[in-house]
Amino acid sequence: MTRPPRHAAYRRYVRRMLPTALAYLAAVGLASWLIPDHAPPTVGTVLLALLPGLAAAGWVWAMARLLIELDDEYLRMLEVRKFLVATGFMLALTSMWGLLELFTTVPRLPIFFAYPLWCLGLFVGQLVNRLTLGDGGGCR
Amino acid sequence: MRNRLKVLRAERDWTQGDLAERLGISRQSVNAIETGKYDPSLPLAFRIAGLFGLAIEQIFQCD
Repeated sequence: MTRPPRHAAYRRYVRRMLPTALAYLAAVGLASWLIPDHAPPTVGTVLLALLPGLAAAGWVWAMARLLIELDDEYLRMLEVRKFLVATGFMLALTSMWGLLELFTTVPRLPIFFAYPLWCLGLFVGQLVNRLTLGDGGGCR
Repeated sequence: MRNRLKVLRAERDWTQGDLAERLGISRQSVNAIETGKYDPSLPLAFRIAGLFGLAIEQIFQCD
């Protein structure tokens, strides 16, 4: 049995995410190369440090476009559920770690890790979809 | 919500893929609706009813 073709919105999503990921890696490499350790926040260092942030914002834009362009309401619901689970996962983990930081001497978690944690939450969301609906959604 | 989608599809000898193509949705969606895992929106329910030439309540019934 042949696998049905993926929705065009998923293909566009991947086409947007891949170059943005490459731009992110290039920007991180450039910032690491040009900014010395413990550099003061000058206009130049701030702009260079924020360059990868533009790519991260691009990922958010690509995800928003996915939800807008998915005209199949069931597939869109699966993606929205994944995003909600990911948001809950990230909020719960960062809040719990924040309390640990407040009351104990655990190491500080840089805020930078919020986005990777959210992405990890997408996998949890996919698992939740699979367990509750028998369907993981796209991007498998 | 219960529905007669599987029966109506079988009467016409359509696969889930055939029905999905006629409705312009994914086969996953058809499967989710047939198995009762997902209740379609009102616009999609109207499209399904229109395709089979029936009223919505002749296809979908409340539990």
